[in-house]
Amino acid sequence: MSDDEALENGVVDVDEYDDVWVFIEEHDGDVMPVSWELLSEAKGLADELGDDLVALTIGEELDDVAEEALERGADRVLVADDPVFEPYRADPYGEQFRAMVEERKPSIVLIGGTHTGRDFAGRVAVPAHAGLTADVTELGVDDDGLLEARRPAFGGDVLATILCEEHRPQMATIRPGVFEAAEPEDEADGEVVEADVVVEEADCISEVVEREVGDTADITEADRIVAVGHGIDGDLEPALELAEALDAELAASRAAVDEGWVDGARQVGQTGKTVRPELYVAVGISGAVQHLEGMNKSETVVAINNDPNAPIFEHADYGIVADLFEACPALADRVEAEPQEVVQ
Amino acid sequence: MTWTIAVGVKQVPDAAEVGIDPDTGRLDRASAPAVMNGPDREALEAAFRIRDQVDGEVIAMSMGPPNAVSVLEEAVAMGCDDAVLVSDRAFGGSDTWPTSLTLARTAEALEADVVVCGEETTDSSTGQVPPGIAAHNGWAQLTYAEEVDARPEEDRLVARRDVEGGHEVVAADLPVVVAAAYGEFEPRPAPLHRKIYGENDFEPTVWDAEELEIEDEVGLEVSPTSVGGMETVDPVERKSEVVDEVDDLADSIEEVIV
Ligand SMILES: Cc1cc2nc3c(=O)[nH]c(=O)nc-3n(C[C@H](O)[C@H](O)[C@H](O)COP(=O)(O)OP(=O)(O)OC[C@H]3O[C@@H](n4cnc5c(N)ncnc54)[C@H](O)[C@@H]3O)c2cc1C
Ligand SMILES: Cc1cc2nc3c(=O)[nH]c(=O)nc-3n(C[C@H](O)[C@H](O)[C@H](O)COP(=O)(O)OP(=O)(O)OC[C@H]3O[C@@H](n4cnc5c(N)ncnc54)[C@H](O)[C@@H]3O)c2cc1C
Repeated sequence: MSDDEALENGVVDVDEYDDVWVFIEEHDGDVMPVSWELLSEAKGLADELGDDLVALTIGEELDDVAEEALERGADRVLVADDPVFEPYRADPYGEQFRAMVEERKPSIVLIGGTHTGRDFAGRVAVPAHAGLTADVTELGVDDDGLLEARRPAFGGDVLATILCEEHRPQMATIRPGVFEAAEPEDEADGEVVEADVVVEEADCISEVVEREVGDTADITEADRIVAVGHGIDGDLEPALELAEALDAELAASRAAVDEGWVDGARQVGQTGKTVRPELYVAVGISGAVQHLEGMNKSETVVAINNDPNAPIFEHADYGIVADLFEACPALADRVEAEPQEVVQ
Repeated sequence: MTWTIAVGVKQVPDAAEVGIDPDTGRLDRASAPAVMNGPDREALEAAFRIRDQVDGEVIAMSMGPPNAVSVLEEAVAMGCDDAVLVSDRAFGGSDTWPTSLTLARTAEALEADVVVCGEETTDSSTGQVPPGIAAHNGWAQLTYAEEVDARPEEDRLVARRDVEGGHEVVAADLPVVVAAAYGEFEPRPAPLHRKIYGENDFEPTVWDAEELEIEDEVGLEVSPTSVGGMETVDPVERKSEVVDEVDDLADSIEEVIV
């Protein structure tokens, strides 16, 4: 490739790009937990590369969010604060983010793989001709300082390493729940930088007519989980009884979420969250690959299913072939009757 | 006004048939039969629902090798009015950047008002192609759409979107790219006469990169990402002890729960 051809293909001088950016996703002042997970993980990357760690946030009235990002280790926070950004829309977000990337030239940009992150990331990567790796579950850098982003493909049967050698920034969306967020430090000694807002309402091509957001439960931190699947047939009661007895958080398969029985914030799997509890009880869940991908990091897995051939039994430590409507309450009773640990 | 609704359908290896080669321990994708990406059936259904509301035409488009014709025949059998295969050796090694460029130019050439895609594919499942198409063309987008509502009098499409912790209703100006939320659009059965037509008589239009004037903007060279390696993931070891009595189960998990 000649230099001219290379430039036409979007190839850039990679040495002009540095710093590790993390997008801090907030809606109405609430930050998505994955953003803090990324900030913790990116601190290690930035240290390894000798780069600054920069948090970027877009929205309205972001002082508290910016402050917390500094407390959580960002060297700098870039803020684009304007009513045009609340509530979230892909077109103004993408436009603003792209302008910031093109002006400031970060080397790495990490975005939480939420519906929001996956919605706008392409609107940055496409015009910037950046590499965008999807659904990353492992991050590292090679000897040359190149980002190695690993992601599951083919329903989780394969872990592929994706590289972005000649384009910048190296962008990636990261699956929620795979990294752990560190606690904030007390002092915040970085700086807050206000970015120029490049978007105007008159240029927007979409409009949010209605927005209803309620359950934003974070199941990724739970120590115990009772997850329900299509087998519950719309009746959450037995699972809730078991969850209460075990002091566990409720989660669900996509099938149960799609039926509207459980909110999407509680979905486990490829298009939901990755969880890592000590105990994961799968109730009326068949064990599809896309579900297993989100629960494989659990320590002990228990399956309750009335089909002895359900694949979930192969992916569980303990299983019972039983009707969930009988087994859940019975197990709940047994757990509650359990004598508490005797202190000697 | 008549709406032209283009639908992206991708040929993928049948997920149920992808196995591990016992000799090499590697994933054996080559021998798996090629089928239509499951979520794209739902994209077709979403497109038909839009066509039910407006005067419109649904055209399936697929970027892929010549044998991807079979997924287009299936799309026509399911109810598409027409289909385009975009096929060229030059596309080899394309990541989502040139893939979405190709589909963006195809949609433009079709003078599409709406592009409908699936939420993501079952092979590389990036979900990046629909926003990529919108970004290349500077169009609006409605991803994770659970319901679609055409407003021809306003030149807008309204969708109920699934967002973290709830829902929102968003109105977007045409042209717009929709990604149909998987599990929300149960495909209607294909009428028999369409099936016969799709399989026996239908021939899709075939375009190459030159036709779309993108021969220098596709393939490995312009793709910012590359696959550096692939490892087969070993299944997590589990005890797989199955019991019949709740008491036995409770005993087994006693250590974890006290
Ligand atoms: C692109 C894509 C992404 C996806 N992402 C996800 C994801 O993130 N998460 C996810 O979970 N899925 C995901 N899926 C869907 C996945 O393929 C499965 O369809 C889904 O996980 C099935 O959910 P389920 O196990 O609850 O339902 P089913 O497969 O219907 O299983 C129900 C189970 O309940 C059992 N049962 C029924 N009645 C009883 C009873 N009375 N007592 C005990 N057991 C009973 C049955 O034996 C059966 O095993 C995705 C699919 C695609 C194509
Ligand atoms: C293991 C592996 C990992 C990869 N990871 C990345 C990555 O992280 N980033 C990256 O940029 N590229 C990646 N690629 C390349 C990428 O898979 C291809 O560009 C692919 O053709 C499009 O991506 P997708 O299948 O993920 O589409 P998605 O974005 O998941 O597809 C969504 C919808 O877009 C439509 N659509 C997608 N492709 C077509 C098509 N060919 N014809 C018609 N409609 C279509 C369909 O409606 C589909 O439901 C990867 C490839 C492999 C083999």
